Amino acid sequence: MSNNKPMPVATEISAPFWEGLKAERLLIQQCEHCSHWVFYPRRHCPACFTHALTWREVSGGATLYSFTVTRIATLPDFADEMPQMLAVVELDQGVRINTNLVGLDESEVKIGMRLQPVFAEVDGKGNRLLRFTGLDKDADALKTLRVVEQPVAAAVAVRQIALDDEAGLQALVSDQFSPWSNQVVVDQALIDTFAQLSGDDYWIHTDPERARKQSPFGGTIAHGALVQILQSRMKLNLGYEITGFSNMINYGSDRLRFPAPVPAGSTIHARARVKKVERVKSGTQLTLELNTHVLGSERPSVINELVILYM
Amino acid sequence: MGLKGHAAIVGSAQYKPEKYATAPRMFHLEQVADLAAQALQDAGLQASDLDGLVINGPQFHEASVFVPAMAAEYLGLRLNFAEVVDLGGCTSVGMVWRAAAAIELGLCQAVLCVLPARMAPMGPDEDASWMARAMRFGGHSTAFGAPEAEFDLPYGHMGQNTGYAMIAQRYAAQYGYDPRAMAKIAVDQRTNAQFNPQAMFYGQPLTIEQVLASKKVADPLHVLEIVMPVAGGAAMIIASKEVAARARKRPSWITGFGEHLAFKSPSYAADMLHTPIGPASRRAFEMAGLKPGDVDAAQIYDCYTITALLTLEDAGFCAKGEGMSFVREHDLTWRGDFPMNTHGGQLSFGQAGSAGGMSQVIEAVTQIAGEAGERQLKRCDTVYVSGTGGVMSEQGALILQGA
Repeated sequence: MSNNKPMPVATEISAPFWEGLKAERLLIQQCEHCSHWVFYPRRHCPACFTHALTWREVSGGATLYSFTVTRIATLPDFADEMPQMLAVVELDQGVRINTNLVGLDESEVKIGMRLQPVFAEVDGKGNRLLRFTGLDKDADALKTLRVVEQPVAAAVAVRQIALDDEAGLQALVSDQFSPWSNQVVVDQALIDTFAQLSGDDYWIHTDPERARKQSPFGGTIAHGALVQILQSRMKLNLGYEITGFSNMINYGSDRLRFPAPVPAGSTIHARARVKKVERVKSGTQLTLELNTHVLGSERPSVINELVILYM
Repeated sequence: MGLKGHAAIVGSAQYKPEKYATAPRMFHLEQVADLAAQALQDAGLQASDLDGLVINGPQFHEASVFVPAMAAEYLGLRLNFAEVVDLGGCTSVGMVWRAAAAIELGLCQAVLCVLPARMAPMGPDEDASWMARAMRFGGHSTAFGAPEAEFDLPYGHMGQNTGYAMIAQRYAAQYGYDPRAMAKIAVDQRTNAQFNPQAMFYGQPLTIEQVLASKKVADPLHVLEIVMPVAGGAAMIIASKEVAARARKRPSWITGFGEHLAFKSPSYAADMLHTPIGPASRRAFEMAGLKPGDVDAAQIYDCYTITALLTLEDAGFCAKGEGMSFVREHDLTWRGDFPMNTHGGQLSFGQAGSAGGMSQVIEAVTQIAGEAGERQLKRCDTVYVSGTGGVMSEQGALILQGA
């Protein structure tokens, strides 16, 4: 699946806004001449056309002006955020901002409700987006990044294929793998966190001292299950994008193997190919052979024949 | 101030809407020449009568700059007036009044307004995926420094659906919302399309239940409340009194227009629920010396049901907040007491890119000329037409009158 979410590219004009978000501060412009508050950032005041704008920190207190909940992702890359909660909020200074609501159940969202800012991390580099949540929510807990992403290096043209295009779908089936994904480092800290989360704290994963002496691998290795789920961090450009579905489900795996170990500290990457496309009662089932390798290793560490159900 | 009503639409042409996959592929220059010939024939005029051209700049296949000069050269026309209009779905309405103004100023006597909207043939070195990439963000700019690239796209705000959905949600919070009334807009128009063999959904009647059972795209919008993009294209000829006197059919005189725009994202509107069609329509009616109640039909730009609803209110056909009850209480079909989008509207006719809005202008002209066949209104002398681009961003209104 392609996952190239559009990211903001700061300009000389807007940089203070984005730098502010990084520091978890909300800075917007105000006109020294006519006191008008300005969003998005500009050189000039759109109320009086003077160039006397000053950056000021504001609390981020806001009211929900309108919102919608999407039932079809606005871009396939946002499928992981479904349903998207797109919103327009009005800051107490009167300016409006296009944004997202987070941490709120659909039933809790009401136009006119009070909101607080969430300085939401969006990458491992400290970049943040300005999202909003309800006053009774823990904005700090909502700001942490869910997935560490690296941009996909090779940009491959993306073909759109409609779900009802039988021939087009069958043409995706190939023996050829996609280009490699971005790379992810599997360090001991990540392995320890997974051990805690999963409860699998077997020494071969968690005790570097003992593993160095006793393990056939000369050190700790990552859990197979960890390497498997890290496939979510590896963004692939398969060169296609299926359109015209209302729902896309991870239906599990036809085959899951861990043929080679991933020693702690390894860098891994993945590639994939479409193995099979078939119509089933509930929709269209696409089997993706998704293989993870330690960088430079021909032998995969994970073979995952992932079944994706489009409905 | 304004037009004197000395220019008229005297001819038109329109490709039957088709699915992109099966529609013929033609160069845009080729389409322009083909549509021009058809429109001239409809008007009963000669190519030598044309001395003005209004054309689309954006999405013109063979050039992104110097489009009018290239088109004039290709067509073989000598022009005294050339103009590019870039107002999205409001382009057609914007073209008509610009042509009329140029004629009333004495610049020219007959203007071709044309919007090719079939796909062009693919060149040997052309990358088939460029269009998919271009469409990926649905009309949102991705250019460095574009405010929407920086402040909308990262949040998933893009295309048109969610903007219109948020307008509808705010409407619901402020005035209440009747999904059945909204569905009825689509259903009444579908009824009209059953009397228009050119319509995409001719032969496919629709019920309120079917609309409400269709897939939700973004709350509260169902897929059947949203236009279907199709391949097509359209042209019109606007002429002076002198030329109109030689034309084949009853001319539609352009007696009023208005245009208003202040934002691209409706999030930045002073009030999202008071749309630009309000000031545009007031100006158009005032210029024509008419009131909303004076029209025989309304051809209202309908990319979404909510667009039509807010236009009914803001153009003054009913009071603010009463659109839903207006729709419930009136029969919007060609047989009804408030004939609206008598060709089916774009919801049932199909939306051929920015030429989609021309379907509304052409239907007005067809009704005024008495050439609407089965769906012909008994009396049709005065028609209101609206155009909407973006997310209720750029809007315009026309008053067209038979003499």
